Amino acid sequence: MRIPLLPALSARTVRVRVSVGLVAAVAGAVLLVPLLFPLDEQAVDMANKLHPPSWAHLFGTDDLGRDVLLRSVYGLRVSLLVGVVAALTATVIGTAVGAAAGASGGRVDRLVMRVVDVFSSVPHLLLGIFIVAMFRPGVWPVVISVGLTHWLSTARIVRAEVLSLRSRPYIDAAISGGASRWRVGVRHLLPGVLPQAGLAAVLMVPHAIWHESALSFLGLGLPTHRASLGNMIQDARGTLLAGDWWPTLFPGLFIIVPTLAIAGLAGVWRERINPRRRSELML
Amino acid sequence: MSERTLLSVRDLSVRFRMRGGGEVAAVTGASFDLAPGECLALVGESGCGKSVLASALLGLLPGNARAAGRARLRTGEGTGAGGCDEDGIDLLGADERTLARTVRGRRVGLVPQSPAAHLTPVRSVRSQLAETVRELTGKRGTELADATLAAAERAAFPADHLDRYPHQLSGGLAQRAATALALVAQAPLLLADEPTTGLDRDLVDRTVDELRRHTDDGHGLLLITHDLAAAERVADRVAVMYAGRIVELAPAESFFRRAGPRHPYARGLLDALPERAFTPIPGMPPELGDLPEGCAFAPRCARATDVCATVPPLRERVACHHPYEGSE
Amino acid sequence: MGERTVPGPAAALELRGVTAGYDRRAPVLRDVSLAVGAGEAVGLLGPSGCGKSTLARVSALLHRPYAGTVLLGGEEARGWRHRAPRAQRTAVGVVFQQPRLAADPRLTLAALLAEPLRATGRTDGIPARTAELAEEVGLGPELLGRRPHEVSDGQLQRACLARALVLRPRVLVCDEMTAMLDASTTAALVAVVERYRAGSGAALLAVGHDRVLLDRWCDRTVHYADLVSGAVTPGRRAPADTPAG
Repeated sequence: MRIPLLPALSARTVRVRVSVGLVAAVAGAVLLVPLLFPLDEQAVDMANKLHPPSWAHLFGTDDLGRDVLLRSVYGLRVSLLVGVVAALTATVIGTAVGAAAGASGGRVDRLVMRVVDVFSSVPHLLLGIFIVAMFRPGVWPVVISVGLTHWLSTARIVRAEVLSLRSRPYIDAAISGGASRWRVGVRHLLPGVLPQAGLAAVLMVPHAIWHESALSFLGLGLPTHRASLGNMIQDARGTLLAGDWWPTLFPGLFIIVPTLAIAGLAGVWRERINPRRRSELML
Repeated sequence: MSERTLLSVRDLSVRFRMRGGGEVAAVTGASFDLAPGECLALVGESGCGKSVLASALLGLLPGNARAAGRARLRTGEGTGAGGCDEDGIDLLGADERTLARTVRGRRVGLVPQSPAAHLTPVRSVRSQLAETVRELTGKRGTELADATLAAAERAAFPADHLDRYPHQLSGGLAQRAATALALVAQAPLLLADEPTTGLDRDLVDRTVDELRRHTDDGHGLLLITHDLAAAERVADRVAVMYAGRIVELAPAESFFRRAGPRHPYARGLLDALPERAFTPIPGMPPELGDLPEGCAFAPRCARATDVCATVPPLRERVACHHPYEGSE
Repeated sequence: MGERTVPGPAAALELRGVTAGYDRRAPVLRDVSLAVGAGEAVGLLGPSGCGKSTLARVSALLHRPYAGTVLLGGEEARGWRHRAPRAQRTAVGVVFQQPRLAADPRLTLAALLAEPLRATGRTDGIPARTAELAEEVGLGPELLGRRPHEVSDGQLQRACLARALVLRPRVLVCDEMTAMLDASTTAALVAVVERYRAGSGAALLAVGHDRVLLDRWCDRTVHYADLVSGAVTPGRRAPADTPAG
């Protein structure tokens, strides 16, 4: 008989609460701020350019007089959208490829994994640049670029998990009970890898956000007038050299804080699905 | 309580708080004594609470468990008159620091269930053994090397295999390596938790024979097992646990050979052996979180009557209202 | 020992010259032959790590041998794992040593027990058959709704045995079925197997390391060492192919 333990209010619990709080705050800001402040985030106001943070503009204004807080929130919206959709795309591709390779085994597995190795050997930022360069700047080319370059690690994780599950006696038992290949895959293997794949997806969201910012910073991501965090940091480079720090700092924080919060949540999730960390006592 | 007592457990109970407010009575009112040079086998089905009892003695219960009662381990040698109460250490009351520094490994040696998992795979037996010797005795240099050899020898681990890694050892040698680690400090009390699970019969016999040898050297051995054949081979006394309670505590000789078990459950367990009647006890043990009122075995017991609605105390070594007659 | 004499064509399970393992250069089984007659119970005794479990998996068509043939009811096995025809696969029921590893942690015991019925499309009467088998192995209705981590090893092994019996196999392979269990549960599970065999005439291959148990349980007990006829010659190896999957 197994008895699950009561979680004590530990450092872990605190970490969970902080992460959940941060993610909730980010989600709230992204959803509510545009409703509460329906200002035109593109509005240029040259009279008010480069104001340091004040009560009127909490995060100050940029070199075109635009409100940095509002633009950061809008930028985060775009970044989160890109991050989540791209991470999902990458996870779906990675899970499909990894599961197919692991479940097939043999030659198919070897061939697929060599292809994965080849893709992995190309720096993925370069590959991403190559992909966005084929399209007009916009949100979807960035999503496609990030999705197509980030499924490799998920494929590896999922394949390893499938291989490990495949050798479990319960798979043997299912085969012996007459289960078809499809049924074993869908009923026994896939549910087993979903927690891992889900974790990989969550961990990939911050990564995808950074990737979007990097592409935008290089001028290859979103159109330059769109408020994206990467674009804002790119725009603010000149003002930073002049000593005006706020147009760089606040978008930077908007990249760092949500990614830390998401990574914190993912860490907790990882502990939950890792049986060795599960505090259970076997009587 | 005799002066010869090494470990004295009185009314030991362990409760687990469960998610959702329930409570699990893993161990209830366990009392027994153990003398140096004696082996007490604690037997019962998996889930009867015997491993929890061992964890409680080592202070290794998880955070949602609470232990009550007393478990005195005699520590001083030759202080005489006071016996174990004056110079003993209360294993249940001691803080984690005391347990870690003076009890586990030093006064209680743990022979693990799965030696392969107990040994570090990336280090040789010698280095693991030497580390333990250094940690427990503070020896250094050639003294350490000698003590390491002696520790290996004590567990009959061959010296020419010391530089091997755990995966290069047979099951028997891995068990000896783990036993050597448990014996390093010459702890007066040895606690073996299912040391023979999954081993072949020959290996079971060899493992318990070695444990017997250490017992004869003066260690007190508390052997926790569901393997009745192993218990029969090694134990001086047998404690049978059912649903968290010790239901019978008898000399091994009368339990296994002469009179036979007196508790219907113990009798049923013995009769289930393939060398005996090979008939199972009907039904299954109750959930520890949902124990019936009265005797927990009554629902499965052919001898149960209305009296069994009250919990029978452990009297004359058996906790049963209708025990079989022992002819001692 | 006379175990290599081939019984009549009615043998429920027969292994002929089976060489199998996980590394072609060092097979675990070398040229092993064994026959279990119709309705017969054979105990296979051997130390752990000797290849008994591999033999059990080969017998259940779950592991492709490098060489040799397996016959079920006189009919040669035509494939392994998924490539084995479903009728052949399901003719052998298997129970493994560790119920924790042999049960999908996401399924309730009721779903676990009925899984082979669903997998083979026999969805009619699942509740009735599940209830009947649960009672046979001694699992109450309140246990059937639980998941593996909520029951004991013994209870889970009861469910795994029920799963192995649910398609009414003609051969039952028990690989150290009771090694983790206490005496009473062991006796109870063996009694379930024997009742099933008495009613169905199924054959049994019980693999284990406990001679007393196997002698008591089976019609005859063979020692693993006596099945091996000698080193395999390279010429007899099967042609290279993709590993069974």
